[in-house]
Amino acid sequence: MVSELSPTPGARSVRADDERPRPPLPVKMVIAGGFGVGKTTTVGAISEIEPLTTEASITSVAAGVDDLTHTPEKVTTTVAMDFGCVTLDPTLKLYLFGTPGQERFGFMWDDLVEGALGGLVIVDTRRLDDCYAAVDYFEHREIPFAVAVNAFDGKLEHDLDDVRWALDVADHVPLTVFDARDRGSVRDALLVVLEHALARAER
Amino acid sequence: MTSGEPLAGGDAEWGVERPASVVRPFLLTAGRIAGGDSLVPPIPIETQVVATDVGLAALNAFVFDQHRDIITVCREPQSLAEIAAKLRMHLNVIRVLADDLRADGQLALYAPQVHSNRDVTVLRRVIDGLRAIPDSRGAIREG
Repeated sequence: MVSELSPTPGARSVRADDERPRPPLPVKMVIAGGFGVGKTTTVGAISEIEPLTTEASITSVAAGVDDLTHTPEKVTTTVAMDFGCVTLDPTLKLYLFGTPGQERFGFMWDDLVEGALGGLVIVDTRRLDDCYAAVDYFEHREIPFAVAVNAFDGKLEHDLDDVRWALDVADHVPLTVFDARDRGSVRDALLVVLEHALARAER
Repeated sequence: MTSGEPLAGGDAEWGVERPASVVRPFLLTAGRIAGGDSLVPPIPIETQVVATDVGLAALNAFVFDQHRDIITVCREPQSLAEIAAKLRMHLNVIRVLADDLRADGQLALYAPQVHSNRDVTVLRRVIDGLRAIPDSRGAIREG
């Protein structure tokens, strides 16, 4: 009978005699950035469903703790997380998860991010420092990511090089400008992340 | 710390009214939780869940509404996250309950592929799929 999670979704059924609908292969990307930067707008612009909200747990690490036991104080917090999805074909479904919370501190999203194809860090140039935690997180977890400046109508008040300098992101991290309300613009920003991930995977 | 502000996540007001449940969810899981400090890696949130014939046949026999609701929602394949959102239950409660129902043969779970962000084939399929999405004006993006 059923004893294990199937490691190959969309490929084989857990029960061979089951005639229930076969689910697609689920893949996910993570939309990160500071509070109010447009994460849910981004998800909603391309999702085929109205973004859903669920409660999830994240772990916040107490900042500045220098503990001899090397076990920083962790606090598990329940937060609301918005997400949407895009059925790319009957066998492949892309989920987009907005990281919850106000990421000024050391939140650990491992539970949500594990296995993600990549991350998109959304930046508001008026509040650049809001995205540092997300950038740090993806860098440390070695998850391919791109930084996307949310600019209404694609108009950017700063030079992209200045933004890169201010954010201090590595040269290999793609930096792009997009409009979180526009489906094509969101699609292209996600493609920047995926092409970056593909280049890394092909190395 | 922002941890003093639970439920403060999200950019917009997707506030929903939560129906009061007769049974407290964590009572149903007998105090078991998924994720958090558990040593067992939690089931990925995008894991696809679909009711089995056994589960559908048992629809009217469940003692707890939550079990019946999960089976009902999973007539069509759903992710764990979608189940949690639609049933307005904590993701970690759904993880435990779905795993219980899987153990009873009433749900089939299809976990995502591990290390898919290193899988060139998967990445190419996602890229091709996204490129085919027209922008708001209905045009196809130049590849």
